[in-house]
Amino acid sequence: MSALLDGVLAVFEPSVMLCLSIGVVVGMLVGMFPGITATMAVALASGFTMTLEPVQGLAVLLTIYVAANFGDRIPSILINTPGTPASIATTFDGYPMAKNGQAGLALIVSALVSAVGIVASMVLFAGAAVPLAQLALRFGPSEMFAVVVLAMTIMISISSKSITKGLLAGIIGLFIATIGRDPITGDARFTFGIRELNGGLDFIAVIIGLFGIAELLDQLLTHRNHEVKPISALGRWWPTKAEYKRIAKPTAISGLVGLVVGIIPGAGGDIAGLLGWDRAKAASSTKATFGKGNIEGVAAADTASSATLGGSLTTTMALGIPGDSVMAVMIGSMIVWGIQPGPSLFVNEPALVATITAIMVLATFITLAINLVRMPMMVKLLDMPKPYIWATVLVFCIVGTYATTNNLFTVWVMLFFGVVGLILKRCGIPAGPIVLGLILGPLAESNLRRSLLIDGPTGLIDKPISATLIGLAIIAVIAALGSPLLARRKAKRAKANPS
Amino acid sequence: MAELEQLATSSGGTPPLDETIAEPDYSAAPSRRLEIAIAVTALMLSLLALWLSRNIILRMGGGGVDPKWWPTLLSVLAAGLAAILVGMSFLAPPMSRGEVEATEKDGWIRMLVALTLSAIYVFAWSTIGYVIPTLVFTAALLFLFGLRSWKGLVIFSLATTAFIYGLFHYLLKVPL
Repeated sequence: MSALLDGVLAVFEPSVMLCLSIGVVVGMLVGMFPGITATMAVALASGFTMTLEPVQGLAVLLTIYVAANFGDRIPSILINTPGTPASIATTFDGYPMAKNGQAGLALIVSALVSAVGIVASMVLFAGAAVPLAQLALRFGPSEMFAVVVLAMTIMISISSKSITKGLLAGIIGLFIATIGRDPITGDARFTFGIRELNGGLDFIAVIIGLFGIAELLDQLLTHRNHEVKPISALGRWWPTKAEYKRIAKPTAISGLVGLVVGIIPGAGGDIAGLLGWDRAKAASSTKATFGKGNIEGVAAADTASSATLGGSLTTTMALGIPGDSVMAVMIGSMIVWGIQPGPSLFVNEPALVATITAIMVLATFITLAINLVRMPMMVKLLDMPKPYIWATVLVFCIVGTYATTNNLFTVWVMLFFGVVGLILKRCGIPAGPIVLGLILGPLAESNLRRSLLIDGPTGLIDKPISATLIGLAIIAVIAALGSPLLARRKAKRAKANPS
Repeated sequence: MAELEQLATSSGGTPPLDETIAEPDYSAAPSRRLEIAIAVTALMLSLLALWLSRNIILRMGGGGVDPKWWPTLLSVLAAGLAAILVGMSFLAPPMSRGEVEATEKDGWIRMLVALTLSAIYVFAWSTIGYVIPTLVFTAALLFLFGLRSWKGLVIFSLATTAFIYGLFHYLLKVPL
C-alpha cells in the first residue's frame, strides 16, 4: 500500500509538477497545430528529457500525450482539419456544428467527453496492467515471440492501406534493428567499420527522423498558400441539461469501443474515433443528422479516441508491446532511463503503476480546466504563421537529437531517416510498423533463436499459448487481405442492384 | 469497415453525405510508374540486404541459428513481398494516393534548400560551435519559409538560440 502511496506522492513534487505544466503547454500547442502529431512531439521531447529523472521525464511525455489529445479537437472543429489523426472523426460533426454557430458548445462538449474517456481508460489501466503483466510473466521465448508477431501483424493490418507494403515496412524495421552487435554472440552486423554503429542505430534519432523530419519535409513539399480562416462566431459554450442527457448514451457506447480498441497493439485514437462515431450513430435515434452537426457525433468521436490512452499504456507497460505510435516512442525513452517496459516492470517497480495513473489523471484535469477556462485565447493561436512553426520544429529536431548522445553523428542519422521517411511516406509505406519492428526486433530475434535452440522448430506450434497467438496473427493478416475484396464485392453488388 | 476506411482516408473532412463542404482536392494522383519504381527498388534493396546478410563475418564459424540467420530470413521475406509488389504494380490498378497531397513546384525548392541548410548547419556546428550557426540557420530558415520582417527574423532567431542554449546548457546540463 505504501508503495502505491509513494507512487502517487512522487507526482506532487515541485519539479514533477513543473514538468507536468510544461507537458500541458507543449501538448496543447502540438495538438492545435495541424501537421504536428503527438508522436512527433513526444519523439522531439524525448531528446529534452534524457537527462531528467524517470518520473520527471514521464510527467513531460505522458502529459504531452494527454494534452495533445485535447488540443487536436480545436482545429478539427474550427477549420475542419484534424490537429492529429486521432481527431479525424471529430471533424464529421464538430465542423458542421461550428458552421451552425455552435463552435463553443462543440469545443466544451469535446473537452468534457475527452476527460471522461481518459479517466475511464486509466481505471482500466490501474486494474488490468498488473494482472496482465503477471500472466505475461509465465511466457517463455516461444510465447514472447508469438506476442511480438501478433502485435506486429495487427498493427500492420490496420495501419496500412496495402497489407504488402505494411508487412514490408515491418520487415524493414526488424532489419534495421539488426544493425550493430548480435545480441547473443556479439558479432558485428552491417556496421561497415563505423564505430558509432556498433551499438545499433540510435532509436530516438530514427524516430525523430521518421516522424518529425519526414512530416516537416512533406509539409514543405506540399504547402499551398491557401489560408483557412478559423470560424470566429463561437456561440454559446455550455450545454443545456437536455444536451448533457443526449450525449450520455453515445459517450458510454463509444467509450467502450475506445477501451477495447486501446488494448489492441498498434490501434490508436484515429481508428477508435471512427469506430466509436459509427457505433454511436447506429445506436442513435437521430442518426440522420450524424455528420451534419449532431452533438452526439462529437461526443462519440472524442470519447472513443480518448478512451484508447489507458489501453495503449496497459499493453505498453505490461507486455512491452507499444499500444500505439506514441507509446512506441515512449518505450525508447524509458529504456534510456533504465526502465524496461514489460512483464517484470510492475513486479520490480510496483509504485510505477500509481505514478503513471496519477500523472495521466492529473494531466487530464489540468488540461480540462485550461480548456474550459482559456478556450477563447487558445483559438487565437491558430493564426500563428507557418514559418515560425517550421523553423522551430527543424531546429528543435536537430538540437534535441544531438542531446540524446552528445554526438553529431546521431544528427546525421536523424536527417538520413528524415529523407528515408519522406520517401516512404510518398510511396505509401507506413512509418508505424517500421518503428514497431525497430523496437521489437531484438525481442523477436532473441526469443525466436532461443525458442528454436530450446524447443526445436516445432516449439512455436507445440505450446497452446504461442500456437493460439500465431493463429490469431494469421487470422489478422487474412482478415486484412480479405476486407478490401469483400468491400469491392459489396460495392459491385450495390452498383448492380441500386435498390 | 469499408465505409470507415473511406472516411479515414478522406482528408480530414466530413462524411460524403455533407454536401455543404466542397473543398478542392489536393490528393496526389495514382501512378502505375511510381508503383513499379517502388516495387523494383524494394526488390533490389531486399536482394542487396540478402547478399549483405550472407556476407556477415562471424568470429566463431557459422551454421544453424547463427547471427546471419535472422537477417537472412528477413531479407528473403522482404524479397518475397517485393516480388509480390512487382507483380501487383504491373497487374493491379494503381493504388489511390489520397493520404498524401500532390507536391508543389515551390515545395521542392523549399524542401531541398531546407535540407541543404540543415546539412551545412550540422557541419558548421561541428567546426565553429553552436551559437553563431544556430542564429544564422534559424534566420535563414525563417527567410526561406517566407518571413520578410527584419524584426521577426532577428528577434525570433536570437530568442530561439538563447532559449535552447539556456535550456540545454544550464537546465539540462547538456553541453552544446
